[in-house]
Amino acid sequence: MKKFLSKSYRWAAIYSIILTGAVTFTMLDTFVLPKSIANTSAVSVSSGSTVTSSSKETSTKTASQSEAVVTDKSYQDENIKISIETVRKYDSNIYIADIQVSNPSYLKTALANNTYGRNITATTSDMAKDNKAIFAINGDFYGFRDGGYVLRNGVEYRETARSGNSDALVIDKSGNLSVVQEGEVSLDSLSAKGAWQVLSFGPGLVVDGKIVVDSSSEVGQSMSSNPRTAIGQISERHYIVIVSDGRTSESAGLSLLQLAQELKERGCTVAYNLDGGGSSTMYFNGEVINNPISGKSIGERKVSDIVYIGY
Amino acid sequence: MSILDINKRNNEKQLRKTIWVYLILSVVAIVVDKVYGIFGHGVDSAAMTWMFLYPLLGGALFYFIIQRIIPYIAKFAGCRVFLNVHNSGIATLTLASLLKGIFEIAGTNSPYLVYYYITGGVFIAAGLIIMLIMALNQDRVHL
Repeated sequence: MKKFLSKSYRWAAIYSIILTGAVTFTMLDTFVLPKSIANTSAVSVSSGSTVTSSSKETSTKTASQSEAVVTDKSYQDENIKISIETVRKYDSNIYIADIQVSNPSYLKTALANNTYGRNITATTSDMAKDNKAIFAINGDFYGFRDGGYVLRNGVEYRETARSGNSDALVIDKSGNLSVVQEGEVSLDSLSAKGAWQVLSFGPGLVVDGKIVVDSSSEVGQSMSSNPRTAIGQISERHYIVIVSDGRTSESAGLSLLQLAQELKERGCTVAYNLDGGGSSTMYFNGEVINNPISGKSIGERKVSDIVYIGY
Repeated sequence: MSILDINKRNNEKQLRKTIWVYLILSVVAIVVDKVYGIFGHGVDSAAMTWMFLYPLLGGALFYFIIQRIIPYIAKFAGCRVFLNVHNSGIATLTLASLLKGIFEIAGTNSPYLVYYYITGGVFIAAGLIIMLIMALNQDRVHL
């Protein structure tokens, strides 16, 4: 054996094959192989007094939806009001949705295939259709990472905080948004304080009415303008969602500072950056409103989760 | 057969060739980083940027120093084993750095990455032990 391996290149050839196999497995495990951990339909939690579910309410919703006034860029019924504006600014196409709901339960999240896990993905539009969403955006793509709090519709899925001063978005049972640092507070305590959704991407863009990013703030080491998705809150149950196209000759994309400025200009007192790049997608009334990029071409990327408005 | 047996064939040429191969691999690592950067949408990774240091310092410079300070180890039969083990360590660490860079740029991570660093480290440590044994037995070369 020793003599066999002492031959020039024989060891190198064998170890190269082993390394190639290991790298192939690692890449597949990270980017491709789906790992289901929990099914969302198997776990459900009541959010208490603010969110109720009854046959009476269901019939009200159906009635509301049937009476809805819908155009290409707006939706209005007695509970939900959405208007979408397209703005050309910073050499970019920016899609801005103004959303008002009468009850915080209409602001929801959903996971791809109703399953929590790694590499479990679906397009934003498919998830939106599956959940009968009126309006939807991509979430935080939690399934692409091993760290970061995941709490959806009252259920804790991942308690592992990201390292460093990573911001998480908390949506409480009253529908109010806040930004917390994962290293400073546990998911259990957030849940105990009434958190209904926790998304982990960031950073926070606006906190207490002030912009908290600057021109050097970026996601990871990215210093470029990019497609972006962000959500902000103006007042009780009144939200602004911004999605920008980017990385194309038609639309450069926004920096985090530009994104924060747009949200603050519209009156947001708190705002948070969600997953961007190829994930950035805005869906409204059965159609994708923006031009998401998938690799080098226009097309929707499959993601782990969505934030949506619907019954 | 012991690693301290004197080899009739001299590994000195192999050592020189290995230095050149590592210099070329360092340049390849830099080119890979630059090319990957073009598709990274402005995102870069320190792990990928500096991965060329493994073949440059751990390979080319390391073997250059050996050639200068303890050239006689090339006469031991165990030199081939040492080269194999050390090269495997550098290859594993360089690949670990490349993978870490790819994952950082994509915004993800892998629980398996740590095993690459452990394996690479074990190979490097084993190689150094073999090298040390040969270096401390200089007298055998002159038998």
